[in-house]
Amino acid sequence: MIIELGHCDQCGTCISVCPADALMLTENALLIDHEACTECLLCVNICPIAALENK
Amino acid sequence: MMEQTWDIIIVGGGPGGLFAALEAARAGKKVLLLERKREMGVPVRCGEAVGKEDFANYVEMEPRWIGAEINTFIMVLPNGKEVMLKRDLYSGYVLNRDLFEYDVAARAADAGATIKMRSNVVSLIRDAGGNITGVRAMELGREREYYASVIIAADGVESRIARQAGIATALKPQDIEPCVQATVSGVSLPEQALYLYVGTCYAPGGYAWVFPKANNCANIGLGINGKYSDKNNTARLYLDRFLEKHFPQASVQRYTTGGVPVSMNLKTLAKDNLMIVGDAGRMVNPLNGGGITHAISSGKKAGKLAATACDSPNKMKDLFARYEKEIAREFGKNHEHQYRIKDVVYQLKDEDYDRIGDEILKIDVSKRSFLTIFKHVVKHKPEFIIDVVKAYSGI
Ligand SMILES: Cc1cc2nc3c(=O)[nH]c(=O)nc-3n(C[C@H](O)[C@H](O)[C@H](O)COP(=O)(O)OP(=O)(O)OC[C@H]3O[C@@H](n4cnc5c(N)ncnc54)[C@H](O)[C@@H]3O)c2cc1C
Ligand code: SF4
Ligand code: SF4
Repeated sequence: MIIELGHCDQCGTCISVCPADALMLTENALLIDHEACTECLLCVNICPIAALENK
Repeated sequence: MMEQTWDIIIVGGGPGGLFAALEAARAGKKVLLLERKREMGVPVRCGEAVGKEDFANYVEMEPRWIGAEINTFIMVLPNGKEVMLKRDLYSGYVLNRDLFEYDVAARAADAGATIKMRSNVVSLIRDAGGNITGVRAMELGREREYYASVIIAADGVESRIARQAGIATALKPQDIEPCVQATVSGVSLPEQALYLYVGTCYAPGGYAWVFPKANNCANIGLGINGKYSDKNNTARLYLDRFLEKHFPQASVQRYTTGGVPVSMNLKTLAKDNLMIVGDAGRMVNPLNGGGITHAISSGKKAGKLAATACDSPNKMKDLFARYEKEIAREFGKNHEHQYRIKDVVYQLKDEDYDRIGDEILKIDVSKRSFLTIFKHVVKHKPEFIIDVVKAYSGI
């Protein structure tokens, strides 16, 4: 399961690569739709500050 | 739940959305711009460099937007040597983008546009027939609905609005550059120059930039190609290494994070009553990552055409087709070439950069125009021209 570690900067880079449209920003957090997520890890690898992890 | 009706709704208040709002409001339309952030122009996820002429073509300049004036361009090679181009070959600004966006928002509001901050658009609203009629937004935990004849997606790199309209906007990892930038103080640079550090040793598949601003401050940032990025090789780690090695005296005032789309432009830039501008339409120059002026230009065009479409809805299809054509003509085609050249350039090894750089250094600095450089590079590395020709012709 993809989780956000708590230091996300809300830049949207991960959203731009998500093939499943499973990511979305709220006003101050990143929402992860675990149902839609296929755990392809593209978001984890692209985040410029390693704010995502697959746990 | 509140309902409101507008002529044009714009999602996103970056340069693309702001200029769309300004033009549409000037054309007398009822315009609503929705922006998720708390403060217009902040945070600045950008190196803030624009070409002087290019920018002046689109925008009436305010002095307070100028963070620095640039008249030189310096490429720093993997071996550390600096290759300066002929002076005034490049002239540009490093903007104060926060002030720029704040002021353009004020101009749009003066022209009659309504701007709402802390409004996060979550989805499109469709009627029973499947037509897009508006947007749903979350505002301080409350859901709001807004209706309009035309929707302009100016939501930047995320590009979720166009995606919801059925346009494939997701990028492949090799088509995005994850970036980190530190705005630092305490660096005095010898030239009013844009410094680009090229080579895998600095930033694989991208480059590091040092753009000066007033008072010995500078934007120092770095983007790597997405295919080289992972948890243990993030843009941030490369930037930390870069700063430690090249600017150990610098104090970081702020960090920002961001992604630069370096694909070709989206082919579909309008669908039904939705138009796409700026980064959401992937309108960045894929070779150098510059996208401010493309966002402005597309925003202005979309704002004007959307206003016309509100007056004659039966012509909307033609007007939107014209929008796609105009964008392709202005920079879309050029970006296709840049995209192919990028593939060639980023295959160069650090030794290649060093050798090409050494060749350029043999030319007197006052003669280092693009043409003379190109001639020298070709003489030294003839296979390079074949690659470039291939890139241009799309073979
Ligand atoms: C690190 C970095 C450095 C760069 N350096 C340069 C440079 O030196 N020169 C240059 O020309 N270009 C540069 N660029 C590119 C440039 O920043 C972009 O091309 C430009 O900002 C695009 O403008 P835009 O209006 O399309 O999108 P943006 O400026 O990204 O604006 C999009 C806006 O939409 C808002 N938004 C998104 N989704 C929603 C939603 N659902 N609801 C409400 N609001 C939403 C966002 O909060 C944002 O404010 C750089 C980019 C990065 C990341
Ligand atoms: S890429 Fe990283 S910092 Fe940016 S929004 Fe995604 S998780 Fe947050
Ligand atoms: S792992 Fe893949 S599908 Fe899941 S959120 Fe990340 S990018 Fe999207």
